[in-house]
Amino acid sequence: MNSESDPHQWLNEHGDYLYRYAMSRLHNEDLASDMLQETLLAGWKGFDRFAGQSTIRTWLVGILKHKIIDHIRKEIRSRTLNEAVENDPTSAYFNDNGSWSEAPSAWKDNPEDLCQSDQFHSVLETCISKLPEKQQIVFRMRDITGEDTETVCKSCDITSTHLHVLLHRARLALRKCLEWNWFGQGTQS
Amino acid sequence: MKHACHQISRLASESLDRKLSPWERLRYHVHLAMCGNCKNCDNNLKLIRNASELIQKTRYGDITLSDDQREKMHQILKESTGC
Repeated sequence: MNSESDPHQWLNEHGDYLYRYAMSRLHNEDLASDMLQETLLAGWKGFDRFAGQSTIRTWLVGILKHKIIDHIRKEIRSRTLNEAVENDPTSAYFNDNGSWSEAPSAWKDNPEDLCQSDQFHSVLETCISKLPEKQQIVFRMRDITGEDTETVCKSCDITSTHLHVLLHRARLALRKCLEWNWFGQGTQS
Repeated sequence: MKHACHQISRLASESLDRKLSPWERLRYHVHLAMCGNCKNCDNNLKLIRNASELIQKTRYGDITLSDDQREKMHQILKESTGC
């Protein structure tokens, strides 16, 4: 076995990078570690398919990414998370004529300061956890992890139109929740 | 233009995920120029996105495998590949 196809060497050179990639998407140490393990073994078994057109790291990330998408798909299927597209909950923020029922305020904080605040993390997490589960999943994948829309759609088995609907709902609900609980402009009813 | 705020909020969200068509862009920017509420909402959504991304980077930016995890993985690789 030459060093290029040695999974032990992959683990030494790319293990931390791949583990970070998995952790940032799965948020679970055991699961991330299992996915990394499976990726290294799949890479070893399928090394003859590595065409050398990319680096080993990019190739391994590709394998890991597919494994993570498969995992999320299975999770979602097992819980049959359905959310009716009808009955748009964002209507609650608007009057019948489509104008805002409560005016959004200007938020003064900047992302760098918010990012340093443990209290803000906690309020953001609480607000996210109040969303319907499918909205939580797409919001986390898209806005927190920064996955591209194609990957989110593939993982969740949804069309891009459905994704836009879910993200619109999630973001407006989070905006409202943060306005109440962090930016302090509104009054909780 | 007030009647359009609900629809504009949808464009504000979608603009974070796809390139709006020229017509949508025009409608969106003309509305934002005239509507402080939608301008605030647009900035709020961008702030949520930017803060979330930064939090993610801070949280996972320097995470590494523990020595135990790494050792266990080498062991399993050895058993599975015979090398």
